[in-house]
Amino acid sequence: MDEDQTEEETAFVVDEVSKIIKESVEATIGANAYQHSRVNQWTTSVVEQCLSQLSKLGKPFKYIVNCIIMQKNGAGLQTASTCFWDNSTDGSCAVRWENKSMYCIVSVFGLAI
Amino acid sequence: MSEVFKDKSQRRGHGARGKEATGRTKDSISTVSYIDELAHHDDNARMAITTENTYQLGPNKRMPVPAVTDILKDVLTSYLQEEKYEVEWSQKMTKTICEVIRARVKELMIPRYKIVVLVHIGQLAGQSMQIGSRCLWDAANDTFASFSFKNSSLYGVATVYAVYYE
Repeated sequence: MDEDQTEEETAFVVDEVSKIIKESVEATIGANAYQHSRVNQWTTSVVEQCLSQLSKLGKPFKYIVNCIIMQKNGAGLQTASTCFWDNSTDGSCAVRWENKSMYCIVSVFGLAI
Repeated sequence: MSEVFKDKSQRRGHGARGKEATGRTKDSISTVSYIDELAHHDDNARMAITTENTYQLGPNKRMPVPAVTDILKDVLTSYLQEEKYEVEWSQKMTKTICEVIRARVKELMIPRYKIVVLVHIGQLAGQSMQIGSRCLWDAANDTFASFSFKNSSLYGVATVYAVYYE
């Protein structure tokens, strides 16, 4: 049975993905303070940039990218996720980023085809 | 037919087997968290399961979005209706709600679908926030459902993504 791709190419590599996420977040909101009028555009841009970088990896994965941007106000936030998938091939990565005025949480789920 | 899918609970950040790496730049801090499956992962990765052709072009039964939205509405309202936001309680509650939603969606018995459930519970303190997501998938077969709930002291958002396994 021929193996079309090597192990490395078909696994979910967390380091690679987290690097992509960090770069997208830094590029979009790196130096900004929270602005309600722009946050919609920021979330869209972070998520779309992540997704386009992920698709450039060329791996046989379907991706779900979720982004939360929240103003720093002393309020609490809890997030949890649970998945029903194949542990050996699928994976996820969450990156929590913050600056002086806001929090940004991006999570990427990669599901093998 | 052997069971290919396995349940996996995920904890963000400070789980027992979680890994974190922190990076610091001038004005911001970023933390990466993910679950490491320890030795178990290496064995499985090498013996990737090759499944036989099913000659099936699409799913026999699609994920019913209204039914899943009803499940989310039901679970969120019943668990959060009269509650007040408290850190310890909401940490446990987020995970519990996640598990409950996943169990109920699995009961729908839609074959060949992988499920991802996301739950956020937050305190109402006059802050502003935005939650957005995008997916790279097959729009004909994959779908999502979400529901948000609010009471006087907290809000809860639940999202379920259903991805077809070809």
